[in-house]
Amino acid sequence: MNSPKRPDKSTSAPAPAGFDAPFWEAAREGRLLLRHCPACQRLHHYPRPHCPFCGHASTEWREVSGHGHVHASTRVERAPRPTAPAIVELAEGPRISSAVLDADVHALRIGDPVQVRFVPGESGALALAFTTPQAEAARRYSRAARAALGQPDAAAAQAAQALQHAAVIGAGHMGSGIALALLAGGLQVVLIDPKDEALQGARERMTQALSDEVTRGRLSASDMADRLQRLRTAGGLPDAAGAQLVIEAVFEDMALKQSVFAELDRIVGPDALLASNTSTLDVGAIAAATAHPERVLGLHFFNPAQRMRLVEVVRAPSTGAPALDLARALVQRLGKVPVVVGICHGFVGNRLMITREREAARLLLEGALPEQIDRVQRQFGLPMGTFELQDMAGGIALTYHARRKAGQSDWLIEQLFARGRLGLRAGKGYYRYEPGQRRPMPDPEVRALIEQASAEAGVQRRRIGDDEIRDRLFLLMINEGTRLIEEGMVERPSDIDVVWQLGYGWPDWKGGPMYHADQLGLAQVQARLQALQAAHGERFAPSAQLARCVREGRSLTSHTS
Amino acid sequence: MSHSGKAYIAGIYEHPTRRADHLTTAQLHAEVTLGALADAGLRLEDVDGYFCGADAPGLGALTMAEYIGLNRLRHVDSTESGGSAYLLHVMHAAQAIAAGQCDVALITMADRPLAAGTGTRLAGVDRNTLPNLPFMAPSPPMPMYGYAMVAQRHMHDYGTRPEDLAWVRVAASHHAQHNPHAVHRQVVTVEDVLASSIVADPLHRLDCCVMTDGGGAIVMVRPEIARRLKRPLVNVRGAGSAVQHSQGGEINLTHSAARHSGAQAFAQAGVHPRDIRYASIYDSFTITVIVQLEDLGFCAKGEGGRFVTDGNLISGQGRLPFNTDGGGLCNNHPGNKGGMTKILEAVRQCRGEAHPAVQVPDHSLVLANGIGGSLAGMHAAGTLILEAQ
Repeated sequence: MNSPKRPDKSTSAPAPAGFDAPFWEAAREGRLLLRHCPACQRLHHYPRPHCPFCGHASTEWREVSGHGHVHASTRVERAPRPTAPAIVELAEGPRISSAVLDADVHALRIGDPVQVRFVPGESGALALAFTTPQAEAARRYSRAARAALGQPDAAAAQAAQALQHAAVIGAGHMGSGIALALLAGGLQVVLIDPKDEALQGARERMTQALSDEVTRGRLSASDMADRLQRLRTAGGLPDAAGAQLVIEAVFEDMALKQSVFAELDRIVGPDALLASNTSTLDVGAIAAATAHPERVLGLHFFNPAQRMRLVEVVRAPSTGAPALDLARALVQRLGKVPVVVGICHGFVGNRLMITREREAARLLLEGALPEQIDRVQRQFGLPMGTFELQDMAGGIALTYHARRKAGQSDWLIEQLFARGRLGLRAGKGYYRYEPGQRRPMPDPEVRALIEQASAEAGVQRRRIGDDEIRDRLFLLMINEGTRLIEEGMVERPSDIDVVWQLGYGWPDWKGGPMYHADQLGLAQVQARLQALQAAHGERFAPSAQLARCVREGRSLTSHTS
Repeated sequence: MSHSGKAYIAGIYEHPTRRADHLTTAQLHAEVTLGALADAGLRLEDVDGYFCGADAPGLGALTMAEYIGLNRLRHVDSTESGGSAYLLHVMHAAQAIAAGQCDVALITMADRPLAAGTGTRLAGVDRNTLPNLPFMAPSPPMPMYGYAMVAQRHMHDYGTRPEDLAWVRVAASHHAQHNPHAVHRQVVTVEDVLASSIVADPLHRLDCCVMTDGGGAIVMVRPEIARRLKRPLVNVRGAGSAVQHSQGGEINLTHSAARHSGAQAFAQAGVHPRDIRYASIYDSFTITVIVQLEDLGFCAKGEGGRFVTDGNLISGQGRLPFNTDGGGLCNNHPGNKGGMTKILEAVRQCRGEAHPAVQVPDHSLVLANGIGGSLAGMHAAGTLILEAQ
């Protein structure tokens, strides 16, 4: 029987095992081979059996350093991975037409040092490319930062493996995503919601998500069936009785969460772990509603929970060490990365993001536009800017509701909300979107609203340079990060970078906000913050932690790498 | 061997279409053939030499010979070198006529990448057979990236500015306003070019040529036939071609093969760059023009940026009017190969038949230059010096 032909990714050699096989063997070890002519003593690339200089019939492999510098380069705009087509001049002389990948391609200049980096290409076969030493160092740091998270002890790992029954309370987007993550980890899951239509919607969403995975070839049909078989839905909390693990994902309302936890505490067995997926509320106050606060903690999943690898494990003062260890081990069992954080508004990831969003909103009022602010962030290396991100995540509605709840008003947010500019799904938000397109387009209506917002606020708009935008967004994040360290919200500074890499797409070739601060030099960061403080106010006042590091000549992350 | 005075361009035709949704490539080749023969005052049965590139569908020149109805061919040539192929064809046709291989040579070019949705690919060129393909980086193979690097290196080595590049586009737009067939007829300023989006740093959108369908044809004949035909006599006084590539690892971004093709053409014609009154210069990108002007000797290496500023390429005001049809930047760039249209406008100028608003007063000597392939990698340059007699 003939089966349709598919590209075979297992054959990684790009050509039939021929004369260039040694090239690819070396490539797998990251070594670059050129051809050397014994007659005219010259090196050539790309490899040919004969010498293209003197015509000598045979040449031999010669390993070269793989180091060189940029002879010329350009950039692929909006590439899925940073890509700078480049002519690289190797230390040994030959110029190679190639590309610099996975590095700060916006900062790349003629003469910059680069080194070889073989990467999997489209077909899965290795491809010859280059990267920068800075990007390599940041990747080394990123690996070290992940390793520094450590492993829960063997007993906790065993206990996590032994977990079989889980309950998820709340069948909204987060609840169904968390249920999918638990199913993928091999657990039996009961999804509980008092509303039938919510349960039905969740089941449809989950089935769709799973069948999408099957379509993409990432999941077999039988695995999908198995997962759905392990899913049960129920209308009341008593169905959580047999669960060894409960994750609550109901509406963000303290009284509601407290009542759920108080009831769960009575229903489940004494050893069950109780977790809240809250992203804004005090987990300690939730735990206090139970008789066993030592088994209560936060598990802050990121949306979509079945795909995002980061989970902030929120430790309340009352949380016991065994519960914390079990939670970390469980997150690992789900194939995710647990980062332990303390209780504060937004925890680690969102706290920095909210800081950035608020500053970005101020920049809008003072004279910048969403497309400029987002471009600066993309050029910095982030996969997207804050306004594109908010359009994707429905941030305008979230901010609108959050501000109303806090009794604050924001003219621009209210206008955008009132005009149905809710983001990508609505086809308009901070940008407009062509039907079926995800590419944000600047919108004159938004520009007019922003200009009016400035007038409403009595702000004289001015031209704001890219440098100012970059400094105000990223130095403020760095400063906020050092406050997290100061407040003991993280176990180590590099955890902040892990959170921003896994939760917000900060590229591993740039390390993370704390690593970036060290690259800038903390004294420099402090000086620039002080200048911003003088110009724009107290929110830029360098933190005590930052000042201490500068005084003592310490860095934030150097012990990590 | 000089072929000056032994072969004349007698007929030309440029297809007016810019998007050929309802024509096949073969039909386009046939239409431009009939157009050029009519311009010359010749008929299909007069053609005994045929030249085409890989845009001609089928088997080299043979399929088109059959389709068009070239029934008494004795000389064919399917030289393919990208956009410069047609300059090489004119040179080869002049040589063939001078050598008695044929009397009436037809050169055709036509393609429809827009209608076919084939992007920047060259018709008939299979990238998958490139021997260096396995060693290339996972990066889009678009021509603009190579030219962006040429521009960056030129700026770095010689202090060329984005404004200088922009002046090339500005000059082309001044000419295109008079061409009713041009894709972009609006006159633009340096500021307009610099304000257009960056497509491949440092190149802006307006630094890039248009993409169009279309084509053109040229008829060349022996002197005795040319004199009988009551059309202005356009003598191929000098021609040259040269090839450059990555040279085993000695990539040279700022110097092109036009150094050699130009020197050859000028030597053969026995004239100097200062004698040239009009130049068709291949304009896939603005930087392409600057590099060629230097390599052809219109200015010293590195001076190209300064040479083109302040409208020096604009007909009626500048020292060297170029691409008076609007060129590839504004008029058309059929099949991603601008060589044919470069020759056509050079012939119009040489005949004194360009648009009156852009016709140069003294059109005794004109030049056309083409670059095929990529300046940043492998390319062939072809240079023609045409003389009005």
